[in-house]
Amino acid sequence: MRLFRTFSFISTALTYLLIFIGGLVRVSGAGMGCPDWPKCFGRWIPPTDLSQVPLQYFDQFNIVLAWIEYCNRLFGALVGLTITLTLAIGLKYFSHIPTIKWPIVIAFFLTLIEGWLGSVLVDTVLNPFTITLHLLLALIIVMLLLYSSQEAYYLENSKAEVLSKYPEDIGWLFSLISIALIIEIILGTEIRGGLEIIRKENPMVESEFLLQMLGPFKYVHTILGFVITGLSGLLWYKLVKKSFNPSVVVIQSSTAILVFIMIQIILGEMLVFLEIIPLIQLFHLWIASWILGLVSIQYCAWKKSRLIYE
Amino acid sequence: MNKIFYYTLSIILLMGLGASWVIQKARFSHDLPVIKLVPDFSFTNQYGEIFTQDNLRGKVSVLDFFFTSCAGPCPIMTYNMKELYNDFSQINEVQFISITVDPILDTKLKLKEYAEIQGVYDKRWQFLFSDLGQIKNLKKNGFMLYADQLPQGHAIKFILIDENGKIRKYFDGTDDASQAVLRENITHLLRNFKS
Repeated sequence: MRLFRTFSFISTALTYLLIFIGGLVRVSGAGMGCPDWPKCFGRWIPPTDLSQVPLQYFDQFNIVLAWIEYCNRLFGALVGLTITLTLAIGLKYFSHIPTIKWPIVIAFFLTLIEGWLGSVLVDTVLNPFTITLHLLLALIIVMLLLYSSQEAYYLENSKAEVLSKYPEDIGWLFSLISIALIIEIILGTEIRGGLEIIRKENPMVESEFLLQMLGPFKYVHTILGFVITGLSGLLWYKLVKKSFNPSVVVIQSSTAILVFIMIQIILGEMLVFLEIIPLIQLFHLWIASWILGLVSIQYCAWKKSRLIYE
Repeated sequence: MNKIFYYTLSIILLMGLGASWVIQKARFSHDLPVIKLVPDFSFTNQYGEIFTQDNLRGKVSVLDFFFTSCAGPCPIMTYNMKELYNDFSQINEVQFISITVDPILDTKLKLKEYAEIQGVYDKRWQFLFSDLGQIKNLKKNGFMLYADQLPQGHAIKFILIDENGKIRKYFDGTDDASQAVLRENITHLLRNFKS
């Protein structure tokens, strides 16, 4: 039982790391570093020298990009393996508990789809819709993993959340924040994709003018950002102020969400007013995925305490 | 708790450092190799001004060899060069240089007239001449191109030169595919040089 918790925790952490690495592939433009899939230039270990590159790929060879993309794939394979092991352990011990079994089963199948999407990305030379889908599935997988590890934790620690009582009528708030966050992330990827196209067509335009050329939907990202800030404030108020004896997990995750949102606003404004710096873009996305995970943690805790009272 | 916080923070900092290293690496991985430095020369442009290797500094240049009465590939090359000249009209850091390989016919006046037919009245596209020996020498030893039977035997290459006067790449001056790559490479050099 403890084994499952360890494995699901490792899977979650590794998936978060993989989201970071995936974002890194994107901002460094290494998505087509390997022009074939699953091999890289026809080899299981990418070439280190032009003499190892098959003739038809000769002009596409860039050793740096090839190895960045290769690390992403290798790490992806490791995460896939870890999730498979987690599934096996989960099915062995928890097949009778739907709240643990189903999230991990779904996460496993989504992981298979992720691998397949990786090959589609290479085939379609980085179709923008597929890139976003690739990210969305990763976010859903990480939330499912987080959820099932938390459920497994509660199974062992049945006293957790017993002494806490949260407002009953905030289920809608969790859904609303999650949906808003996911839309916000999609909008963000749209902005990044749009910027890439504009930069390609107008290579000499200074970074600060790129955003001006983007059109109005960047404002939607900002406005929805404020809506999410408001909703998170409301959630904090309900869970921390309007609850009876909220647990440490809930208090800390509520506060962490607010802190991360502040960081997100600062990073976002830096991108708008300073310059479009790839490293900031990377963290802007990665922290968004943390916020989503924290909402999932809160939801699971809230549900646990509610079940006790029912 | 505090300990975990600092551990996490330092891991994230390390990840940030690693990521920024990778991003830098990726950015410079697109760099074109440096082939060689353009040697010293001193030619004259269509306005009668001296043009030397120093005029290559601080600008990205595209250079070719041609002659005005050429009926072979030159009209296509001139057409392609003109397209580039128009495409980069907003950017003063790009210049185009066409060197005649027929200095007997292509005098200063003839080159000026030829330039104006192309709609060139500024110095973003300069047409150079010198005496045949010097042209031959620059072409053969400076740019490593065939220069034995001038004017007919001139190369059809476009040569991309960076802001330090170094040759970075050769292109076929007559086909569209090469032009597309050249366009990308010009902007790449510009971006690196501006930042």
